[in-house]
Order: sequence, then structure tokens, then C-alpha cells
Amino acid sequence: MTETPAPSRSGARWGLKTKVILSMLLVGVIPLVVGLGMAFWQGSQEIREVSGESFKALATEAARKLDLLLAEEIAHTARIANDPAIIHALEQRRDMQSDSTRQTAAFTDFERRWAARDAAAIKSLTENPLSTLLREYYTGGHSAPGQLLPQVVRASTKLLFLTDAQGTLVATMTDHPAFRHQKTQWWQGAFNKAVGKLYIEDVRFDDQVNAYVFSISLPIMDSLRYEVVGVLHRVIDAKEFFSPATHVTRFGKTGHVMLIDTKGIVVSCPILPTGVPLSDPDLIPLVTPQHPGWVQASSDGHGGQSTSVIGFAPLPETSRATNGSTDSGSWHTFVWQSSDELFAPIQHLFTWVTAFGAVAVVLLASLGYVAAGRIVTPVRQLQQAAQSIGRGELRTPIQIQTGDELEDLAEEFNRMNQQLKAAFAGLTDQVKLKTQEVQVLQQSTDQILDAVPTPILLIDAHEVVRYINQAARESFKVQEPMSGTSLFKILPLDPAVQKQLQAEFRTNGDTSSAAADIERETVPRDPLAPSADHESSSHRSELHIGSRIYHYQWFRLPARPGEEDSIGLVLRDTTDESRLQDQLVQAEKTGSLGVLTAGIGHELNNPLFGIIGLGEVIQEEQDLEHIRACARDIVAHGRRMATIVRDFTGVTNREAFDRQVPVYLEQILDQVLATAQTTVEMKDIVIHKTYAGNTPVLVFPDQLRQALVNLVTNAAQAMKGSGTLTLTTGVSGRTATATIADSGPGISKAHLSKIFDPFFTTKGQGEGSGLGLTVARRIIRKFGGDLRIESVEGRGTTCLVTLPVSSPLSPEGGPWTPSASRSEPQPSHSS
Amino acid sequence: MDTFRVTFRAATIAFLLGGLWGGASLPSAKENPSIGSISPERVADYVHAVLEADRTIYTTHIVNRMQEKGIVAATEHWEQENALPLPAQFLQQSGRLAAESGSGIRYRLIGFSPIYQRNAPATEFERKALDVLRRQPERPVTGIVSSGKKQYFQAIYADRAVSPACVTCHNSHPLSPKQDFKVNDLMGGIAITIPLE
Repeated sequence: MTETPAPSRSGARWGLKTKVILSMLLVGVIPLVVGLGMAFWQGSQEIREVSGESFKALATEAARKLDLLLAEEIAHTARIANDPAIIHALEQRRDMQSDSTRQTAAFTDFERRWAARDAAAIKSLTENPLSTLLREYYTGGHSAPGQLLPQVVRASTKLLFLTDAQGTLVATMTDHPAFRHQKTQWWQGAFNKAVGKLYIEDVRFDDQVNAYVFSISLPIMDSLRYEVVGVLHRVIDAKEFFSPATHVTRFGKTGHVMLIDTKGIVVSCPILPTGVPLSDPDLIPLVTPQHPGWVQASSDGHGGQSTSVIGFAPLPETSRATNGSTDSGSWHTFVWQSSDELFAPIQHLFTWVTAFGAVAVVLLASLGYVAAGRIVTPVRQLQQAAQSIGRGELRTPIQIQTGDELEDLAEEFNRMNQQLKAAFAGLTDQVKLKTQEVQVLQQSTDQILDAVPTPILLIDAHEVVRYINQAARESFKVQEPMSGTSLFKILPLDPAVQKQLQAEFRTNGDTSSAAADIERETVPRDPLAPSADHESSSHRSELHIGSRIYHYQWFRLPARPGEEDSIGLVLRDTTDESRLQDQLVQAEKTGSLGVLTAGIGHELNNPLFGIIGLGEVIQEEQDLEHIRACARDIVAHGRRMATIVRDFTGVTNREAFDRQVPVYLEQILDQVLATAQTTVEMKDIVIHKTYAGNTPVLVFPDQLRQALVNLVTNAAQAMKGSGTLTLTTGVSGRTATATIADSGPGISKAHLSKIFDPFFTTKGQGEGSGLGLTVARRIIRKFGGDLRIESVEGRGTTCLVTLPVSSPLSPEGGPWTPSASRSEPQPSHSS
Repeated sequence: MDTFRVTFRAATIAFLLGGLWGGASLPSAKENPSIGSISPERVADYVHAVLEADRTIYTTHIVNRMQEKGIVAATEHWEQENALPLPAQFLQQSGRLAAESGSGIRYRLIGFSPIYQRNAPATEFERKALDVLRRQPERPVTGIVSSGKKQYFQAIYADRAVSPACVTCHNSHPLSPKQDFKVNDLMGGIAITIPLE
């Protein structure tokens, strides 16, 4: 259970209260924003749709209105065109022209005068009956009552004139028109191959009128309506004519209706001047199809680049006549309102909703704060209570009265606290009991340990003594409070031993002694070699503390979980034991010496008595020959004695050569045989030799000879003068083997294991020193070889000598030849 | 739509060829009376038969079928509304095309109570002829008429509301002075004019 204080936790992370407020805000704000966005988008879409449809309807309505206006105007004009007088006059003119071409010259002359603005010519034309009739129509003289031309129409009509079937001016209301019109588009369109057709000309700038005008050209049919006899042409100021109709239709600040032609030229607009094209050419194909509709365009055609909703509709009847047919031109209404104004309501709505949304967010935050407080306070209480429970400090029940799940939770906490208390109480009793048990166990262990007479110490990993038993306390005179004392303060040891002990301690104490034991086993001890070396004594699990010797032993003590193992050290006082052993060895040695002395005495006595006897003989002997013989015997006996003495002292250092020399093993064997025959009775012994040629070995020849003499002598003695002695040499690889086998009684198994022990002998007193084999083996091993004895009781004994083969002998050095003097003992060297 | 237009044009051209033939035959007849001449009445009858046949085919096999299948309707402002011309418009338009061809033949519809005044009887002869037709619609009213010095033969055939389209349009058009027409009612006449020189 963490006991981190609550403030630091809430400081580092988001507190529950902040989270509650934030989530309430998010829950409120996200739908608000999404809803607002969608409502705005949808609202804009719908406004666009609704406006588009309204604009379309308005455009259609305006188109119909303008269409009717034009249709009415055409009807007015048609009334002139249908005037019987005019028709009759033009019929006559047609008939006249078809009759003769005489008048062509007069026409040309009149045309010139008209162009020169000759007053008489002008007057003759403008004052003729047809012109008068036109004027009367224009002023309303021929109109039915209530069908007078409106003032606007009258004022907007700039030219009104009549041509015949050849396009020549026949009558005119004003004096402006040109004389011939046959080549003009409107004339050809209205004449239409004498079939006749209404022709409405698109808006153009007229220099004479000095205004943007459009024109209506009506064919004048003959009385049968069979063919065209003339054309009535009327030029109307577009702005003046249409503005009363288009300018009245205004909505909002910018909404209006305008009239354009197929090329996008403005015919009439409350904002743009007549005659200018729409500002955006790309807009024109969008708004001039042959059916009503609305479009959302990227510009408004009035110079603005904002997205606009534009309604449009063609003037159905008028369009049929514009430029002769619908295909060559049509007129369209164009309804537009600035998008700023159009979307103003939704913008307002958006602003207001945003403002109210902000208020709502503030409200939400405040309410969230209050609500979060109400939720978080009891939760904090619970948290603190849980901490108290964790520490086991909660005494009073938690008081939360929220009437909801939190209150239930608090009750659960209270219940849990009580149960925990009860559980803890039981647990405490159990712990007490167990602790008592443990204490009892510990006491009994201590008592047992104290009762043990052996000193026992428990040491931790830092060489600090944790426990020390009664025996140890007494042995090392330790006072009672000893905890924390180093091991080596208690055990006064010299530094070398201390170091070794520490090393053992580090390797957990148990390996070192074992390793030392193994080493002792593997390395055979030479009884003659100096045996008191430091290493072995220190490797032995022995400690010399004061005057006492202790055998020690480490043991591991498994520790409790999480702690390091401690190590026990058991010390056994072996002072008395080793002293006893020493005494025993001493006694044995003394005994052996006695035996040895007796043996030496016996050995030496025999030749000595012989020498004495021979000396006595010489004293009384006169015969020189006999004296000499006696003297020779004396010398022989002396030599024998010298040999005996040499045997005992082990002539290891008395070697003539200070280095090993190569010799033939077979040669040495032969010399040994000869030597042995001088000391042992071998007359009845059959000798078999099986040599493997000359086997070179690198040795001190005297020493090898001594070793082999011992072996041969042993064999001869074992056979007691009769039997078979077999000498064999052999080479296998780098090893030379010499075998000395006898046919004696053999060696019993019990003795076989002891034959290399010093002073062990089966011979009688004075017969052998018990050192022969020991010495022999030691010598052979020195040369890198080995000596083994194999024996089967009753069948004889075989001595196997192995030696390393040396390199072949050099010719000039030759095999070493022994000299008699060399083999003799040299008293000067003896010590 | 274009297909239909092509069809009308084809029909019209077929008619025109007939007209041309007629027009061509007249001077030749005049030059060679021995070969035999055709009276203007007969010519007018021929033209009328072709007109009636064309319009009937257009009305029954094109307009009615298209409208029944809901593919396209015939409306007055067919150019704007991407629709078919009304049968009456078909005849008027073909008459205009025929006139524009320069062959001299003219025919048009005239009504007792036309939607547009331009389709009212233009002359006294036409007015009287309609009055006669109202009583005797079986036979055309024919006569020689003149415009100035020019003389023409004119024949006026009674014309009925041949399809529901005619009736619907005339009864619902805001400019129509009479709005209680029924199918097969006599609505006016087809005036065919042939120049006599």
C-alpha cells in the first residue's frame, strides 16, 4: 500500500474533479459545436436552396412580365403594321415597282437629297400621309380608348419608320433614319424572303439616338397576308423602356432583377448600366439556358467574386424573335442578391447561437464544478479512510450520507474495516504463539550448541561473528556481548593463516580442505625427502591457536529469504590427539632404529669377524702367499661392509657424474648380475636373458645399478639359491622396459601393498634393511621411469622397470663403460 | 428531340417536293394547255390532304405516344421546355418553312377565336369562309382573291380539334378567348393560298 500523500498526487496528474468537469464540458461542447456546425451548414444549404428556388420563380415571373410587356409593345406596333391604309399604299408601291423600273433614277436622286438632309426632301418624306399616319398612331390618335401608348413607351421610342419591300424608306416619324435598309440585318430578318417574321434586334449603341437601343421590326403583309410589302421598324431606348419594369422589382438592399441577352450584355439593370457585359464571362453560359433555373456561381456578374445564388429565366416569346430565332439569340432575366445579404440571417443566427453556446459552456462549467465537488468530496473521504485502514489507524466509522452508491461503498468500507480488525486480532495471537515457539526453538538450539564441547561459531558474509557457543566462548575467552566482532578478533591467528582462512571463507569454506586432501592423496610422500614443508601443514584443516591445535570444518547455514547465507565454523581440539600420534610415531621410529641398528650390527659383524680372524691369521702367518690371500679376503670383507654402509645411508649424492649420461640398459643389467653374484649365492640359479638389443637410457649409471642390484638381489634371495631368474628388456614407443622375474614363492597380497614402505621387510634380522625397494623406486622415478612389482603367491615375483628411451648414443662418446673404481664406495664422500 | 425535328423536316420536305411539283406543273400547264391542266381547287385539295396526313401522323404517332409513355410532352414553349411543338404549331411552322422556300404556296391556320390575333381571319373572304364552314364544314370554301394587282386562289378547309392536345391548350391558355372546346370541335380552318400568275 502506497502512502503517497494525496496533494502531491493530484498535483502531478489530473484530479478526479478536473476530469469530471472536463468530461461534462466535452460532453456539452462537442455536440454543441458539431450541432452548430451542421446546423450552420444545413442552414446555408437550405437558404441557398430556398433562395435559388425563389430567385428562379422570381426570374420566371419577371421574364413573363417582360415578355408580356414586349408582346404588348409588339401588338401596338402590329396595329400600325395591320393598318389597311398602309397596306394598301405599300401594295400599290409594290405593284408600281413591279410594273416599271423607271423610278430608279428618281429614287437615287431623292436618296442623295435625303442623305444631304435637304429640307424639301425631308419634308416631302416626313410630311407624307404615311408619316402622318405613323405619328398619329404614335400619339395615340388611332388607338382604341384605353389603349393609348403609355407615356414611357412613347418617350422611349426613338425611331419609327416604314420601308417598302425593297428596303427603301417610305415614311418616318423622325428625320434621322437612313434611306436604304435592304442590307441591314433587321430588315432581312423581318422581310424573311417575303414571308415576314417578327425581328427583335439585340441591344446596340445607336449613334443617332446616342443611347443603347433595341429594335422591333415587323413585316407589313399584303391584304391577303400572302407576302411582305413593307417593314415597320421601331427603335426603342432599352433603358428607358425596361427600367420601369425591372427597377421596381427590388428586394433587400441588393436583390434585383436584370435583363440580359445571350451574349451577356445587360439590357436593363438597376445597378449596371445598359450595354455593358457581365463582369464574369464564365457566368454567361450558366445563366442563359433555354429554361428557367438557378445556379450557384463563383461570381455575381456585378464585379463581385463571392459565391452567389442566381436565378434566371428566358423570355419565352421574345426569345423566339430575337435576332430572328431562338438559336441566334435570346433574352433572359437574371435575379441576384448579394450573398452577404443572402446569408446574413444565418450569420446572425450563428453569432447568436455562438453567444448562447458560450453562455451554456460557462453554465456547464459551473454546474460541472458543483457536481464534481459533490462527487469528489466523498470519494476523497473514502480515499483517506482507505489509507487509514491501510495503516490500521481507522478508529471511527466513515460518515458519508449521499444516499447513493458512495454511501453504500462507505458502509462496505466500514464493514471491511471491522472484518480486517477481527482478522488482524486473530493473526496477532497466532504470531505471538509462533514467536514463542521460535524463541523456544532458538533457546533449545542455543542450549544444545552450548552443551556441545566443540567450539562453534556462526559467521555472516562479512566475517562478523553472529553466534558463538559456550565452548568457543570458554576456549577463546570471549565476553558475553560479542555480536559485531570480527572472526579474527576472536581467533588470534598469524596473517598467513588468516589470509588462507579468508580465501576458504570466500569459497564457502568447504572446497579448500577437500582439495588439499586430494592433493595429499595423489602426491606420494617420500619418507626420505624432507617432509616438513609449510604448504601441507597449512593446507591441513588445522589451526594453531595459542598452544592448542584445532581441526576445523566449515558448514553452510541456509539463511532466511532475502538474507545472505551464514557460514558455520566448527573447531575440534586435536591438540591431545596429535600429541599422542607424535608420541606413537616417535616410539615407532625408536623401535625401527633399534631394529635397524641391530640389522646393521649384524650385517657388519659378519665381515668384521672375518676381518678380525684373517688379521689374526696374518699375525701368525709366515707364508707371504697366504698373507696375501688373507689380505685379499680382508679387502673383500671391507668392501662388503662398505656396501652395507652404503645401502643404509643411501648414496644419492655421491655420484661421480654431476649429470646424467646415456647408457645401454642391457649393459647395466649384465653388470648388475655380476655384482649380485658377488653377494648372493647364485650358483644353482638358472639365468635367462632376453634382450631387445641395446636400449639407450639417460641415467646416473651408479644409481640405476644400485636400484637394479637391489631388485636382482631380492629375487635371488627370494629363490633361496635355486630357481630361474629371467631378465628381459623391451622397447615400446619411447619407453624401455626391463623385467626381472624370479620363480620364488611370491609375495602375499597383504605384503604386496606394503613392500614400498620404508623399513618393511620379510627377511630376518640382519638380512635386509627394508629400504631396498623404497630406494630403488625412488631412483627409478628420478629418471622419469617407474617400478612396479607384480606377484602371484607361489609363482614368483616380477619387477617391471620402465624408463624413457634416450636418443641413440653418439659413436665417439660410446656407451658408458663402468670402471671398477667407480662402483666402489668412496669413503671420502661419506658423511 | 432532334430526331423528331428531323422527322418534321422530312415530312415538310416531302410536302414541299409535292408543292414544287405542283408549282412547276402550273406554268407548264399554262404553256402547254394541250397536255391538260389541273384546277387550283384540285391542287388545294392535294395540299390539304398532305397537310392533314402529316399532321395526323405527327399528332397520333408522335405526340400522343410520347405523352402517353411520359417521354416528352408537347407544349407551346417547346423550345424553352425541351418539348415537342403542339400539332397546331407543327402546321404553322411547316407553313412558314414552305413559304420561306419561295415556291409561292402559303397555308396557315385561322381560328374563330384564336389565342393570338395574328391567327385571326385577315380578310373579309376568310371571315366569310369561316362562317360558311361553320355551317358546312365538309367542303372547302374557295375563291379568287387579290392583293393589289396580284391574284391568288384561296381555299379554306374546316379544321377540327384533332387531338386532346389542341383542346387542352386552347382551354387553358390565358390568352385564349374561348375555353370550352371539346375534341373534334370545329376550331377554325386551314387557309391555302396559291398565286395565280
